[in-house]
Amino acid sequence: MAAADVERHSKKRKAAPEEEAPAPPPAAFPQDVGLEMGSEDEGEDGGDVSDDGVVDHFPEIDTRSDTEDEDYTEDGEDEPDESEEDEEEDEEDGESSEETSDDDLGIFPKAKTVISDITGQPKRVYPDIEPDYDSDSSTEDTPNRVGDIPMHWYDDLPHVGYDINGKKVLRPARGDELDKFLKTVEDPEAWTSAFDKNLQMDKPLSPEELDIIRRLQQGENPDASYDPYEPTVEWFTGKGKEEIMPLSAAPEPKRRWIPSKWEKQKVMKIVRAIRQGRILPNKPKTASTQPQFYPIWNDEPSSAPAPLPAPKPRLPGHAESYNPPEEYLPTQEEREKWEATEPEDRERDFLPQKYAALRLVPAYDQFIKERFNRQLDLYLAPRVHRVKLQIDPESLIPKLPSPSSLKPFPVYKSLQVAHEGRRVRTVSVSPDGGWVVTGDEGGVLRLWEVMVGKEVKRWTFKSKIGAVEWCPRTDVSFFAVAIEDRIHFLFPPNLPAAILAATQHALSPANLPPPPAVPSPVKWVSVPAAQSSTDAPILSLHLPSSPEPPKQLVWHRKGDYLASVSEGQAGVWMHQVSRRHSQAPFKKIKGAVQLVLFHPSKPHFFVATQRYVRMYNLAEQKLLKTLTPGIRWISSMDVHPSGDHLIVGGYDRKLCWFDLELSDKPYKILRYHSRALRSVHFHPTYPLFASSSDDGSIQVFHARVYNDLMTNPLIVPLKILRGHEVKEGLGVFAVRWVPRQPWLVSAGADGQVSVWCS
Amino acid sequence: MASTSTSEPTHPVVFTTQTPYALPSQKFMIPTSWKRYQLSQLVNKALSLPKPIPFEFLVQGEILRGTLAEWCAEKGVGEEETLEIEYFESVMPPQRMSTLPHEDWVSSISCQLPGYFLTASYDGAIRIFGYSQKLLHTTAPHSAPISSLCIVPEPSRADNSSHLLATASQDLTARLTRIDLSSPSSPKAHTLASLHLHTAPLSSVSASPSGAHILTSSWDGLIGVFDASIPDADEVPADEVAGGERKKRRKVAQEDGSEAPRPKRKAPTTVLKSHTARVSRVVFGPDAKGASAYSCGFDSTVRTWDVENGVCTSTITASSKPFVDIALTANGHTALAASTDRTVSQYDLRAATTSATTPSVATLTHPATPSCIAVARPSASAPAVSTSASEHQLVTGAYDGVVRLWDLRSTRAAVAAFRAWESNAGTGPKKVLSVDWARGLVGVGGEGGVEVWKVGEGDRITTTA
Repeated sequence: MAAADVERHSKKRKAAPEEEAPAPPPAAFPQDVGLEMGSEDEGEDGGDVSDDGVVDHFPEIDTRSDTEDEDYTEDGEDEPDESEEDEEEDEEDGESSEETSDDDLGIFPKAKTVISDITGQPKRVYPDIEPDYDSDSSTEDTPNRVGDIPMHWYDDLPHVGYDINGKKVLRPARGDELDKFLKTVEDPEAWTSAFDKNLQMDKPLSPEELDIIRRLQQGENPDASYDPYEPTVEWFTGKGKEEIMPLSAAPEPKRRWIPSKWEKQKVMKIVRAIRQGRILPNKPKTASTQPQFYPIWNDEPSSAPAPLPAPKPRLPGHAESYNPPEEYLPTQEEREKWEATEPEDRERDFLPQKYAALRLVPAYDQFIKERFNRQLDLYLAPRVHRVKLQIDPESLIPKLPSPSSLKPFPVYKSLQVAHEGRRVRTVSVSPDGGWVVTGDEGGVLRLWEVMVGKEVKRWTFKSKIGAVEWCPRTDVSFFAVAIEDRIHFLFPPNLPAAILAATQHALSPANLPPPPAVPSPVKWVSVPAAQSSTDAPILSLHLPSSPEPPKQLVWHRKGDYLASVSEGQAGVWMHQVSRRHSQAPFKKIKGAVQLVLFHPSKPHFFVATQRYVRMYNLAEQKLLKTLTPGIRWISSMDVHPSGDHLIVGGYDRKLCWFDLELSDKPYKILRYHSRALRSVHFHPTYPLFASSSDDGSIQVFHARVYNDLMTNPLIVPLKILRGHEVKEGLGVFAVRWVPRQPWLVSAGADGQVSVWCS
Repeated sequence: MASTSTSEPTHPVVFTTQTPYALPSQKFMIPTSWKRYQLSQLVNKALSLPKPIPFEFLVQGEILRGTLAEWCAEKGVGEEETLEIEYFESVMPPQRMSTLPHEDWVSSISCQLPGYFLTASYDGAIRIFGYSQKLLHTTAPHSAPISSLCIVPEPSRADNSSHLLATASQDLTARLTRIDLSSPSSPKAHTLASLHLHTAPLSSVSASPSGAHILTSSWDGLIGVFDASIPDADEVPADEVAGGERKKRRKVAQEDGSEAPRPKRKAPTTVLKSHTARVSRVVFGPDAKGASAYSCGFDSTVRTWDVENGVCTSTITASSKPFVDIALTANGHTALAASTDRTVSQYDLRAATTSATTPSVATLTHPATPSCIAVARPSASAPAVSTSASEHQLVTGAYDGVVRLWDLRSTRAAVAAFRAWESNAGTGPKKVLSVDWARGLVGVGGEGGVEVWKVGEGDRITTTA
C-alpha cells in the first residue's frame, strides 16, 4: 500500500514539470505568489491542496531514501513496524561501534543520524573533513608520475618513470625467488603485500584494502559503509500521516470533461468577428510585418552624448563619523542654534553624534528623505556635458603678415649728425625730402642734407628753439621757427630763382594786404624782399609774451595757415600768411592745450588737451567730437594722410589709434614702449608710422588703411630702432619721416639726429 | 707632387693663369686639405721664383677661401673630376700713402691726372694737390658745396699742361674750370662757363671719354647734356631776381679770377627726362664716342641713355633700392650700383629687361650705407691695359669710414678693407663720400679730408712695369 503510494507519488512528481501549474506541490513555491493558477476548473483543487497545511512539510528528497525504500520493499514487505524500530536501534549501535572503527580506518567517514532541531526529522551528519594534507588523496606522494601506462615500456630501462620534478625514479632492487621466499618466511606482513606495478615493488596492503578483499571473499558488498538494513521511513503510512496525502477519492468533477461554456462563448465571439471581417485571421504579410534583418554593427555609433554619470555625493568627513573627535561634537549653543534655524538654512543637515560602538548606531532617520532629495536633484537639476575648450594659445594671436613682406621700412641707422651734445627738441624735413632742419636747445638751427648729413647752413639764436616746421608748399621753400615769443620765417640757401622770388613774395609782398578790421595783438614784421637774405628771418611774428617759446608749430596742408601752441592762456594762435593776420580761434579752452593739428583734407582742427582730443569744424565753428584716449597726459598726436585716422601718444607709454569714423574710443591701444612717448608721425605716402619714446627707442609700424569702411586698419609692428642714448631720462624727442622715401629722421636728447634708412 | 703619396685624399687639378708665371699644363694631384697658402707655395716652388709672390686661386671663377675639400663639398664636385684652377697675384694689403687734410668735407676726389689729386669740397673750393702732399692751388668756382668733380678729357689738345674740370654744385649749376698746370708749383685756374638747367642741387657731373659732352644729374630728376665747348656769349639770361645771393656769387667769382672774364652761362643741348626722383649719379659708357650713358636714382632704377637722341633705351628696376652711386666695369657690360639698403648690386647691362624688376647678378653686402664706388679705370694714356683681375675688382666707400676692395668673383666678403681715418672715440665713424682709383692709388675723400692709399690692382702693376 505504501509502496503503491510511493509509486504513484513519484509518478506524480515526475509528471509535475510537464503539467503546467498545479502539479508541483505548492510547498515547492512557498514564495511564488505572482504565479497564476492556470484554468479555473483546476484552481479549486490547487486551492484545496494548498489549504492543506500539512503538505508544507514536504520531506527532503533523497535518492538514497528512495533506494532504501525500495530495498526495504524488496527485502521484507511483511516486516512489522516493531522490527523496524529495532533495526533502527541496532543500527544506532552499529553506527556507534563503527564510529570507533572509523577512527582507525579513517578513510570512509561514517555518517551519524541525529534528530534535526529544525525539522524534527532524523538526518545524517557526517564528520567534518579535516582540511589537512591527508584529507585529499590526490596530494599523496606517489613518486612515479608516468601515469597509467603499460609499465613494460620501462622493462629495459634502469628506471621506472619520473617523479614530479622530472627526476628518474630508479627501479627498486628486486630480490630473486629465494629472497621472495625468505621474505614470506621472515616477514609476517609479506602475505598482505601486493606488487605495485607503478612502483615495481611490493607494497603492503592497507587495512581497508584488506577489508575489501575480505568482503569480496565473503560475497558481501565491498562497500563497508553500505548498510542493507537501514530502517524504513514512514512517509505516508503510520500514525498521523494518513491525512497528508494529496490524493482524494472524490470523483472527478463533471466540468473536467464537458466543454467549457465560457470558452465556447469566447470562441464564438472570435468566430463572429472573423465572419464580419473585424479580425483577419491571416493577415497578408507586409514588408513591415516580415522580419527584417539588418547588420546591427554597420550603423554609425550614435553621436548623442553618453548618459551623464550622476555627480558623486560628497564624501563623509570626520563629522559624519559615528565616533567623531570631540571637537566635532556640537556644544549646547550650537545644537540650539542648529535646531532654531530652518532646515534650508542649516549649514549641515545633521548633528554629529558620538556612539561608543558601531552596533549602537541607530538607523539613519533622514535616509529616505536624503535619497529622495538626491533623486530630486538628479532629476530636476539638468546636467549638461560641459565641453572643455581646446584652444591653442597660438591661434588667438592675430595673424599678421611677416615684417619682411612689408618692406621697405627703416632698418638701420645710416648716419647721424651731432649737435654738440645739446638736446635736439625739434626737427623738420623739407617737403622734397632733401633737407632737414633741426633746432637744439642752444638756439642753433641747422640745415643739412638728408643723404649725406652735411650741414650747409646754420642760424644761431639767443634762446632755445621751441619748434621748427617746414612749409608744405612746393612752389615756395621756407620754414617757420619758434623762438621766445617770436615766430621767424627763414628760407634755405641755393634756391632756384623762381622759387626764391615766390618765397620772397609770399613772405614779404611788395604791397601789403589791408590790415584786418579787428587789430590783432600779433605783429607781423617783414624785411623787404630786396634786402632779404637767407641769414636773417624774412618775416617775424611777435606773439604775446610768454615765458616759454611756442612748443608746437603746425602748418595746414596748403601752407597758408600756421597754428602755433604756446604755454599759458592765449595758447593757440592761427596765422594766415597770405593775409598777414593772426587770430586766436578759441576764446576759452578747458584745460591746457598740448597740441593742435589740421585735418589734411577737411576744415577740421584737432586740439589735444591734457586728456582729451577735441575735433572742431573751423568753417562752422563748432565742436564735432571729443575723443577720449584714456591717456593721462597726451604728448603727441598725428593724423593719417587720409584724414580718417588719428594716433595719439601719451606720457603714460600708450599709443592710441583712433578710427575717426568708428568711435570716440581708441580702435587700438599699443603699449610697446617702456617709457613715455615723445613723438608720433605718419609717413605721408608709405603705410608707415613711427613712435619715439624716452626709452631711447623708435618703433616703426606698418599701418595699412583700407578704403572700404568694413575693413579695419592693419597695424603691424615692424621694427624697433635703437641707437639713441637716454640722457637724464630723456630719449628721442622727435621723429619725422622723409617724404618720398621710407626713411626716418629722429632727434634725441643725446644731441644726435639720426637718419634711418631702409 | 711627391706629397701625394700620403694617405690624404687628393684631387686632380690643372693650373692655368694669365700672368707670366705659368706652370706646365699637366695634371697635379693636390691634397684636398690644401688652402690658398699651400697652393701659392706650390706655384712659387714649382717656378722657383726668386722672390715669393702670393697668388689667389680661382676655382671655376670663384676665389678659393677655404680648403679644396670644403669647396668640393659645397659645390658637389666629385673626387674624380679635374678642377681647372686659375691663379693670379693676390692683392697686397692696402697701404696708406698720404693724408691731405681739408677743413671741410670732401665730396669728390679725382686721381685721373697723373701726379695730381683734385678734390672738391663742401666749402665750394677745388683743391689741387701734388703727389708730395702739397696743396698747389685752391680755386672756388662755387659758393655752395660742390657735389661732384670730373676731368673733361681733351684728346685733341696737344699739351698736357692744362685741363678742363667740370664741377657740379648745390647752387644749381655745374661749372667748367680750366686749370693750367704749366708751372707745376703754381697752377692757375679760372672758371669758363656755368651750366644752367637744374632747379635743384646737382648730384653729379660726368664727361664723355671723347670730352665732347658733359652730363649733369640733379635732385630734380633731370639729366642735362651739355657740349664741352665754351660759348662766346651767355646762352641763358641771368637771374632776374637781384638777390643777395647773386651778389655774393659775383663777388666770389671776382675774388678768384679777377683777370678772367665772367663765366659764360651755357644751356643744355639735350635734357634726359625719365627719372621720377632724384638722379644720384650719371656716368658715360666706356665707348670712346660717348654715345651711351648710365644713370641711377632714388626711384630705384638704373637707366641706359642714348645721349645723342636723348632717349632712355633700357631701364633696370630694382625693388626699393634708392641708388646713390653707379660705376661701370672697364668692359662696360656690368653696372655696379650702390643703394641705401647697404648693398652694392651688380647688374648685367646686356641682359634683356623683360620682367618688372631685374634681379641683380650679385650683391655685395655692406654693414653701412655704401656711398661711392670706383673701378680701376683704364686711364687715357694706357687704355689697352685691362686684365682679368682688374676687371673684377672694385672699391667701395661706406658711411662707416671703411673702404672695401671687392672681387666680383667672390662676392661673399670683401677682399680687403681699410679704415680711412682714425676716428677718435665719441664722434663716431667719419663717412667716406668719394673714392677714386687709378694707377694703383685709391683716393678716399670724405668727412675727414682725403687719404691716399696704395692698393695693388692684381697683376696690373707687373704688366705695366
